[in-house]
Amino acid sequence: MNKLRKKGNPITKTIIYIILFCAVFFYLFPIYSAVNTSLKTNEELRFGPVQTVQKPTFDNYISSFNSIKRPLLNTTIFTVFATAVSSILGAMAGFAFSKMSFKFSNVILLIVVLGFYIAPQSILIPLVSFMGKIGLYDTYLGLVLTHTAYGVPITTLLFKNYFDTVPTQLIESARIDGCSNIGAFFKIALPLSLPGFAVVAIFQFTNIWNEYLFGLTLTSGVESMPLTVAIANLKGTTVAAWNIQMAGLLISILPVLLMYLFFMELIVKGLLMGSVKG
Amino acid sequence: MKKKLELLFFLLPVIILVAFFVYGFIGWSFYTSLTDWRIIGVKGEFVGFENYKFLFTRDRSFKSTLFNTLELSAIFIGVTMPLGLALAILLDLGIYAKKVFRIIFLLPLSFSFVASASMWFWMFSPEIGVINSFLRLLGMGNLAQPWITSSTQSLWCIAIAYVWQFSGFATLVYYSGISGVSEDIREAARIDGASKFQEYWRIVIPMQKPATLTVLVILLMYSLKVFDLVWLMTGGGPGRSSEVLSTLMYKTTFSRNFFGRGASIGIVMFVISLIIILPFFVRRRRSDYE
Repeated sequence: MNKLRKKGNPITKTIIYIILFCAVFFYLFPIYSAVNTSLKTNEELRFGPVQTVQKPTFDNYISSFNSIKRPLLNTTIFTVFATAVSSILGAMAGFAFSKMSFKFSNVILLIVVLGFYIAPQSILIPLVSFMGKIGLYDTYLGLVLTHTAYGVPITTLLFKNYFDTVPTQLIESARIDGCSNIGAFFKIALPLSLPGFAVVAIFQFTNIWNEYLFGLTLTSGVESMPLTVAIANLKGTTVAAWNIQMAGLLISILPVLLMYLFFMELIVKGLLMGSVKG
Repeated sequence: MKKKLELLFFLLPVIILVAFFVYGFIGWSFYTSLTDWRIIGVKGEFVGFENYKFLFTRDRSFKSTLFNTLELSAIFIGVTMPLGLALAILLDLGIYAKKVFRIIFLLPLSFSFVASASMWFWMFSPEIGVINSFLRLLGMGNLAQPWITSSTQSLWCIAIAYVWQFSGFATLVYYSGISGVSEDIREAARIDGASKFQEYWRIVIPMQKPATLTVLVILLMYSLKVFDLVWLMTGGGPGRSSEVLSTLMYKTTFSRNFFGRGASIGIVMFVISLIIILPFFVRRRRSDYE
């Protein structure tokens, strides 16, 4: 592993680091530019987007926060609920697929998981009509239900894969002690799955927090408008508003960004579990 | 009997949700696609496969939309996969501060597509945009491009934003695949006198077939679904130069109120997603039994 550090041709080494720093520039330059501009006054904005900020101000953050306050609250509420419900339902189904044998379980799992891969456009019209018909258009409940329904395929798969790593003997021994499967699930499997739960919950939280198309088509007013829709609406208002726009989008990504920084390992696990073993 | 009840308890919520919201709605979409429904509250007439016939024979924009979707996928995947593999190999070479690099590569994944669309819209704006301003600052103003306002460049701009956002994922999967190659095999190659280059070219990279398949399928799915980036960066324009299936479906349905026709585009997308994903599933199932 540490070969390069010890020996390695200095020219090769230099090339490797040059490539790496090009990649870093590609990934960070847009973020740097956004942060830089978000700190500028309208005065400074006129010198163009590249100049480094001279007198940083947080006013843009305050004014964009004021305009996206309600959507921020909306997204927080429905994301938390939808994450919780879809994770719990996925844990239950994942447990059954992993630890209880039944006929056609593979086929049923495949049919469930397929739900994760369909393009949302292929169910969008019925979804919007249905939510309208049952009076859940433009409500938190409608968004929670939608994100739960389209979240359970992947949470089921993630939990199934997770429970596959939990030794079956542990569940068996609980059954021998007279526990039902339901008892074994709540007393043994669920507590054991807490690390898995964290992975799934973070995965779901980031997905739902960042979702746009359902939010765009299932809400109309600010009462339940998701943050992504509000951020998209900030765009293209006036040219002068770049600083406020950038401040707004940075606020909108902050919760997920912090999760990435603090729970990187869990995020990585979720991404790999959801894909490699898909 | 008891076990059956327990199974119901565990599985019923998920099965009901998926059966209704996924498969029920696909059926409903399909039914809608066979009608000329246009007005909310007024049922459409049954027209058979008219909407599909329209898309595939009369509607010229549909063909260019299909082609754009394909082109965007090709650029996006053609750049993301080699880039992901290359960065994964670099990370594997025992470099300093590997963790920091990895975090940086994954950072864009934490952005919502909406946030990165707004950001890249601004990067690629011709007059006040970051890239052109940067070029002018370096005295290379003659290299400034019309970017998203050009019908030949708009799709490329979207693809670059997409690569920015998603290549960290490919890097991650490849890196995990490379870490999975047993040290014994690599050691053996080295003892046989393989150079570092040969070690990767002959041993490590050929073993990344599963990772490649995974990345390919996920990227294909995402390039079919992509909506936010296109909608917010170009709206499918200028003209129809960056129109893709998802934006065409949205416009047809929600701007022009052709619900039946919009549904038929949705169903076409569903069929494409099945074609992408089913071979992957079947392959995986088979390897499970081996």
